Amino acid sequence: MKEIIAVIRMNKTGATKKALVEAGVAGFTALKVMGRGKLVEDPSVIADRKQKLLAMAGDEADGEAERVVEEFLDGTSLFPRRMFTILSHDDDVEKVIKAVMQVNRTDNRVGDGKIFIMPVDDAVRVRTGETGEAAV
Amino acid sequence: MLMIRAIIRPEKKDEMLAELSRAGFHAATAVDVVGRGKQKGIRIGGVVYDEIPKVMVMMAIRDEDKDDIVRLILQYGKTGEKGAYGDGKIFISPVEEAYTISSGAKGL
Repeated sequence: MKEIIAVIRMNKTGATKKALVEAGVAGFTALKVMGRGKLVEDPSVIADRKQKLLAMAGDEADGEAERVVEEFLDGTSLFPRRMFTILSHDDDVEKVIKAVMQVNRTDNRVGDGKIFIMPVDDAVRVRTGETGEAAV
Repeated sequence: MLMIRAIIRPEKKDEMLAELSRAGFHAATAVDVVGRGKQKGIRIGGVVYDEIPKVMVMMAIRDEDKDDIVRLILQYGKTGEKGAYGDGKIFISPVEEAYTISSGAKGL
């Protein structure tokens, strides 16, 4: 039994839910969280995105807008993400990881999220009182 | 690899995350939570508040960084010199694997 924690983009929630159903592990718990990842040390990685986002600001683009966009992209400040907690059998872990990675990958090079795999000692189904693998 | 879950006072979050980042531990996830501890909440007059707002900071870290991070959380999570009831808890659990979605790379 493993607990899979996936922190992903907000707008990928729907796609991830669908992918989980297709992977055969439909159950999950999702939370809104605020997060940040590793600092982006190489500015060329986010240069393209920065241009695009600044272009959206149009004429209002000034130093302030540039600062906000840069902090958003290089991960200095916390930004909203969706955290999925999925409980799965040991054998299904690989399938789930693959499914989540596939639908969440974008061309932005950073910010697609992380997946963590953690051991679970026991689980209990409240309705029947089943424990262990049968409860997952 | 380890997962640190620290339940802290909401007003301590910004400073703690800034100090963790300065020390080189930048990646973190923060969740607003409510909860109660051993003191069964707070009683003010006749009213018991047992859903006290806290922030849960989650960090996946390398084993060797544990002591530094715990020390920083303790230092910046504490109220005053001695600390006070309600400053929070730190829980540490094992993480077996980690993946970065954008690159597919294994590890933190």
